[in-house]
Amino acid sequence: MQIYLPIAELSVNLFFLVGIGGAVGFLSGLFGVGGGFLLTPLLIFSGVPASVAVASVTGQVVAASTSGALGYYRRGGIDLHLALYLILSGIVGAVGGVAAFALLRDAGQLDLVISVGFLVLLGSVGALMLVESTRSLLKSRKGVVVRERLPNQHNWIHGLPLRVRFKKSRLYISVLPVLLIGLFIGFVGSLLGVGGGFIMVPALVYLLRVPGSIVIGTSLAQVVAMMAATTILHAVQSQSVDIILAFCLMIGGTVGAQFGASAGKQLRGEQLRGLLALLVLAVAIRFGFSLILTPADVFSTAVMGAGK
Amino acid sequence: MTRLLTPLLLVLLLIAPAYAERLVSQMSNESIEITSSFDGERMSFFGMIAPDAGSEQKFVTGPFHVVIVVLGPTQDRVAREKTHNFGIWFNTDQVGFDNFPSYLHVLSSSRLNDISDVTTLTANGILPEAYTLAASTGDWWKSAIFSRELVRLMTEEGLFGVQENGVNFLSDNFYSARLTLPSNAPPGPYIALTYVFQNGDIIARKSEGFSVRKIGFERFVAMAAVQSPLLYGLVCVILALFTGWLGGAIFRR
Repeated sequence: MQIYLPIAELSVNLFFLVGIGGAVGFLSGLFGVGGGFLLTPLLIFSGVPASVAVASVTGQVVAASTSGALGYYRRGGIDLHLALYLILSGIVGAVGGVAAFALLRDAGQLDLVISVGFLVLLGSVGALMLVESTRSLLKSRKGVVVRERLPNQHNWIHGLPLRVRFKKSRLYISVLPVLLIGLFIGFVGSLLGVGGGFIMVPALVYLLRVPGSIVIGTSLAQVVAMMAATTILHAVQSQSVDIILAFCLMIGGTVGAQFGASAGKQLRGEQLRGLLALLVLAVAIRFGFSLILTPADVFSTAVMGAGK
Repeated sequence: MTRLLTPLLLVLLLIAPAYAERLVSQMSNESIEITSSFDGERMSFFGMIAPDAGSEQKFVTGPFHVVIVVLGPTQDRVAREKTHNFGIWFNTDQVGFDNFPSYLHVLSSSRLNDISDVTTLTANGILPEAYTLAASTGDWWKSAIFSRELVRLMTEEGLFGVQENGVNFLSDNFYSARLTLPSNAPPGPYIALTYVFQNGDIIARKSEGFSVRKIGFERFVAMAAVQSPLLYGLVCVILALFTGWLGGAIFRR
C-alpha cells in the first residue's frame, strides 16, 4: 500500500515505513538508544531526500524516547537539575547545528560531513564499548567480581570553577563540562539527525561520574527535550519535517520499542553493551566504505530551490 | 502609410500558403490531484490534423509526425561531481542549472532524427540538451560535461525521458499518446507542447497546460509547513510526545 508523503513529495510503501520504524524501534528499546543513527541512513537509502530524512527522524526520536523517559521519571531515575543544564546548552548547540546543516547542504558537502561524522563518532564510541564489554564479559566468565567505578573517584574535570551541587546525582561539580557536553551533543545531534544518547551516556558516566541509576533516565530526558526543540528548528528553518513520514515511523517505533525493552530483560548488561557496540561499529564501517570505495555514480544532483 | 503597408501585405501574401493544417487536440486530464494514495497517474493525449479553417482544401495529406513535449515546473538545480582526494571521495565540482525543468518527457511518433534536424529540434525545445544549455551557470566546457550527466541522472529518476514510439497514429491524421506521470513528479503547472512535422518542418503547433497539485489533507499539510512553520513544528512534537506516551501506556498495563 503506497502512501504519499506531502513534504518529501514522493510515495513510499506504508508497510515498509512502519516496518523499518518497528525494527529500529525494537533495537532502540533493546539497547536504550534513540535509533536515529540507523533510521536516517535507511531512509536516505530508500530515496527520501536527506534533508527530509534527518528532520523527520528527529520527530521520531522524540516519540521513541518519550515512553522510556516517562518510565525513568516515575522511578525517580532522572536528575532534572542536571538535565536542565544539558537541555539549555543542547538547544544552543542545536541552533548552531541546524544552521550548519543548511550551509553544508547548499555547499554540497552535507553527505561528506554526515559520513565522516558517523564514522568518527560511531567508530570511536563503538570501539570503546566493545573493549569495555568484552573485558567485563571475560572477567565475569572467570568468576571475578566486576567492581563498578566508584562515583566519588575524582578526575581533573572536578577541579574546574563555577561549581554547582546536583543533589540527585550526588555531585558537586563545575557547570562548564556539563554545558560543553550539552552544546556538543546538541550540535552533532541536529547535524546528523541522531539523539546522541550513545555519546551522552559514556560522557556522563566516564567524564562526570554520574551514578549508573541516573544516567540513562537523564540522557533520555535530555534527548526528548533537545530533539523536540530540533524538530521545531528544522520545521521553521528548512520546512523539511514530513509529519506523515514521522508519524508512520513513530507508530512502528513505539510498538517495536516495547518488544525490544522486554527482550532486553533476557540479556545481561555486558552482553547488551557488546551487541550494541557491534551494531554501532557495523554502521561506522558502512560509512567508512562509502567514503573509501569508488562510488557507483560520481555524479549527483540536488534541488536548490524553486525556479522563477 | 501605403508605403509601409505594401511590403507588409506582400510578406503576408507570400507566407500564407494555399494549403494549411491545424491541430485539434485534447488531453485526458486538466488537473492531476495528489491524494494520500497517489502513486503516479496515466495521461492520454489525442489529436487530429485537419485542414485550416480558411483554406480551400477538404482533406490533409500525410505523412505527418507528431512530437509532444511535456514540461514540469522549473527548479534551480545543481549537478555535482565526486573526486578521489586524500583517500576519500567527496564532491569537488558543481554546476548550477537555474530555472531548469523538473520534469521533461518527449513523446514522438518516430525517431527524432528522422522527424527533423537537430537545429529545429533544439530551437523548439524538443531535445533535453536545449534546456541544460540555457539553464547552465557554468562555463562552456564544464556545462557540456555536467549537462549530459544531469540529463542522465534525471532520466534514471524517471523525471526525464524520450519515448520515440510514444505517439501512435490511428489513421493518417489521427494520433493518440500515453504518458505515465511518476509519483515523484513535482507539483506545479505543467505544459504539454504538441508539434506536427511534415518533411522536417513544423506545420502546426499547440500548447496546453495542466496542473499537478496536492488536494485535501496533503495540501493542508504542505501549506501548513510553509505558512505557519512554528505551529507545524509544535504539532509534530505534541504528536510525537503523545504517540510515545500512548505506546508506553498501552504496553505497561
